[in-house]
Amino acid sequence: MFEIITPLFLSLIVGGTLVGIIFGAIPGMTATMAVAVCLPLTYSLGLDNGLALLLGLYVGGISGGLVPAILLGIPGTPSSITTTFDGYPMAKRGEGEKALKIGVVASLAGGLISLLVLDLFAPTLADFAIEFSYVEKFLIIFFALTVMAALSSDMLLGVFSGVLGIFVSLIGVYDISKGGNGEMRLVPPGLGYWLENGFSLLPVLIGLFGLAAILEQAEIGVPKGHSTKDIKVGAHSRFSFNVFRGQSFNLLRSGLIGTFVGILPGVGGSAASIISYTNAKTFSKTPERFGKGEPAGIMASEAGNNGLTGGALVPLLSLGIPGDSTTALLIGAFTLQGIQVGPLFIGNNPGTWDAMIIAMLIANIAMFVLMYFAIRYFALVVTIPKHILFPVILMMCVIGAYTINYGIMFDVWTLLIFGILGWLFTKIRLEVAPFIIGFILGPSAEVYFVKSLESFGTWTIFFTKSWIAIVLWVLIVGSIAGSILMARQKRRMEDHG
Amino acid sequence: MGNLTHVTINFKTSHLIFPTIIACVLGVLLVAIVIRDRKRIAASGAYWRDTWGAMDKPRFLGALALTLVYFSLMVPVGNIWPNTGLGFLLCSIPYVLATGILFMHERTPRAILPLLIVALVGPTFVWWLFTYPLFLTLP
Amino acid sequence: MKFTRRSFLAASSAAAVIAAPLGARAANLPRNMRMVIGSKSTGGDTYQTSAMVADALSKKLGINIKVDAVGASDAFKTLARDKRGTTIMIFHDQSYLGYLYGVTGYDNIFADYAIGPTVAINPGNAYLVPASSPYKTMDDILKAAADGTRIRVAIQPGGVSEIGFSAMKNAAKVRAPGSEDNIVAVNTGSQSDKNQAMWDNLADVINGSIQANEQFTQLDSSDPKAMRFVWLTARPETLEQAPEAGMGGTDRAKMLSFASPETSVTLDGSKDFTFDKEFFFLFNKDMDPEISKAIDTTLGEIYASGEIEERQKAAFFIPNYLPQDQALKHLEDKRDTYAKVIDDISSKS
Repeated sequence: MFEIITPLFLSLIVGGTLVGIIFGAIPGMTATMAVAVCLPLTYSLGLDNGLALLLGLYVGGISGGLVPAILLGIPGTPSSITTTFDGYPMAKRGEGEKALKIGVVASLAGGLISLLVLDLFAPTLADFAIEFSYVEKFLIIFFALTVMAALSSDMLLGVFSGVLGIFVSLIGVYDISKGGNGEMRLVPPGLGYWLENGFSLLPVLIGLFGLAAILEQAEIGVPKGHSTKDIKVGAHSRFSFNVFRGQSFNLLRSGLIGTFVGILPGVGGSAASIISYTNAKTFSKTPERFGKGEPAGIMASEAGNNGLTGGALVPLLSLGIPGDSTTALLIGAFTLQGIQVGPLFIGNNPGTWDAMIIAMLIANIAMFVLMYFAIRYFALVVTIPKHILFPVILMMCVIGAYTINYGIMFDVWTLLIFGILGWLFTKIRLEVAPFIIGFILGPSAEVYFVKSLESFGTWTIFFTKSWIAIVLWVLIVGSIAGSILMARQKRRMEDHG
Repeated sequence: MGNLTHVTINFKTSHLIFPTIIACVLGVLLVAIVIRDRKRIAASGAYWRDTWGAMDKPRFLGALALTLVYFSLMVPVGNIWPNTGLGFLLCSIPYVLATGILFMHERTPRAILPLLIVALVGPTFVWWLFTYPLFLTLP
Repeated sequence: MKFTRRSFLAASSAAAVIAAPLGARAANLPRNMRMVIGSKSTGGDTYQTSAMVADALSKKLGINIKVDAVGASDAFKTLARDKRGTTIMIFHDQSYLGYLYGVTGYDNIFADYAIGPTVAINPGNAYLVPASSPYKTMDDILKAAADGTRIRVAIQPGGVSEIGFSAMKNAAKVRAPGSEDNIVAVNTGSQSDKNQAMWDNLADVINGSIQANEQFTQLDSSDPKAMRFVWLTARPETLEQAPEAGMGGTDRAKMLSFASPETSVTLDGSKDFTFDKEFFFLFNKDMDPEISKAIDTTLGEIYASGEIEERQKAAFFIPNYLPQDQALKHLEDKRDTYAKVIDDISSKS
């Protein structure tokens, strides 16, 4: 099986991973976009080499997002949102380099865990994944939503922000392609032309995190100095592998959660890191440190989103159904070559299957090596004067918003609207993190909730559907109870001190 | 018993179910916030006055205004040379430069020069990248 | 290594924008065109067809054509705004079916846009049952409906996925009036939702495609995921052009057995209902007719040389070039047939 590893094959993976990292690291450009623009190249490269390139882009693109998430507090891709929660506070403390290295190591761990799962259990897991009907998928989304409460510094305002995020995500048509009836709702009269399809995730995300942060800086007069306060990368907090002591279970669990969320068709890529972050916080002995620069939070987020890479390939290669938006593009690569994907794919194409596993393995290693040793150069970004960095970031945000749906100007306006909203949120103490989580998960929550009732016709189905539903309820109750206990504890501590 | 938990969803109106539930939850939360934070909300007039007073108005409003102009001009300018992305290029260069100068503190020629270079090279490189290797549409 | 459109363009420099190829100037064509498509996916069939056509056209005409997967409603809006002819669109039957079914974002394309030439057919539209289903054929299904059994069909409402379902209802009505009420829709979304509806036992029949579902029909019948084709909606003459080996374990002869006339879903008691998913051009109504004519003529030359047909067949498309005037007539006839079907089953008699 090693004859496929040619110099071309290798260089495509490494080159793909590098380009993917760059795409992931630039706010507004995503792994999906990297794969989309390179898809036509696979026609001339042939299947195995083409896949090597695309998988490199995929792994690199998912991983690169952690760089701006940590250094600038702007998630490079939607799946690195949860990385900002702890990564950016660490960078502000001057632990940027440490946070980046933790993220890179966790990414590698997540990637390798999911690859192992993909290699060993793909068809079995696909059979398990189809046990998840609308009901179980709704409960998974519900569980991920419970993190809103835990993430907020003021629970009432935080939950309100999260529910507001869900509300805003429902604006526009009830998407037919997800099972809706295509009717518009929540659209003010006269705005139907623009809001028919609602707001797109990526412009909302970079508006809330990117533009809003720059507006906040402008408001206080863009103080001189570097964009991250007192940053001396690596100077007063060195990275050592000791931070991973006691975290191997966290890494394993997060990697597996990411993998499993990837396997579930339709639940979506960004949910992977949110769910593994929720889990890490629920089971942590020190949940109060999450959101303030806790290394375990970065580990959960990054192991989770890289876990997605292997997971999302499971339904693609064993059911012919993509696990996320990026793998949906891989189907195109196969059909262009006249290769069918479906339950017989692995058996019919053992050579391609091996090539994919090897490509994923090499891509993960290449990602690790490239990123680990490039960190000091990444970190230079924060030494660029703000009056140069900010306009360039703004321009990149515009590019990202405009190109994400292949040239829709309304997406650029969305960026501005949510930039102003994000600034306003901090003024009225609403919280951006729960809002964006609500916004991401809202549409799935709706479809799975309504379809559960539509299909089964009873409210009790959420409790009686299967043992999986019961397990999910235990997790949901645990997460909510944990957040309430934590809030109480915090209040008591504030009362005493 | 069975009737109590039974629901029938009419597909034609099913787009309203979830928004209604969410709107209700949102309303309840809003009422709770208003009750709990009534003092703070009552004092919000002073709060906004302070915010407005402390704001670096030229930089904040200037950045907003420049962004607004930038977004508004991109498409009309691009329409002069359809589908070439020149609208993006020709608007981004002055935008990056103007915003940079706005954010800058000591506006000496020495300080403006690197910004000028970035404002010229940055958008041009991005434009080239998207138009040729990536082959994506820009305004 | 073959040169693709993208790598070719990557190699060429900015000079190409400024120095227009003479051929393009002669035909008075815009040098940079944007092709919007009615799908948001760059991995789907609409994108693939459009990319092949754009590729061939841009090589032949010496102009740039960018394919943008903006999705149906934004594609229509973009096309409607651009009267200069620098934006063109490719979409399939969904464009008028969406209007017939009253979906938000769809207008009457025959009134609002100019219909251009057709380019290809995706012959894959299919209906499937679980391998363990008591129904072996469409006849069984329609008989069961006539006998009062409820048949649940998983579809994505409002277009290509629903039209076959509407045809089933119509056939049931023709065969045994009133029995169409026993054929009910299970409204789902993507292919994965439709499959899942079958596996969750929420649907007796699902809409699918040869491409996405063929391998499930090859699974051992003990596998709970196993399926069987019961109906392919394509015209027999379309399927006859498919590669003889068919797809996977289903050869062309087998495919033909699931399509009209062997598998009959009647339209009016004498003719069979058929549906081919055809891809065609849409132009702005006010666009310079010279431009659409140039595209039409060039396409005719491209199809005459036969190269694009090979590429299309390799990706399981059926080449289907009809010049603009014939395409309009053909699509209008198609629209009228389906409008009647939809009208007949929705009016209670």
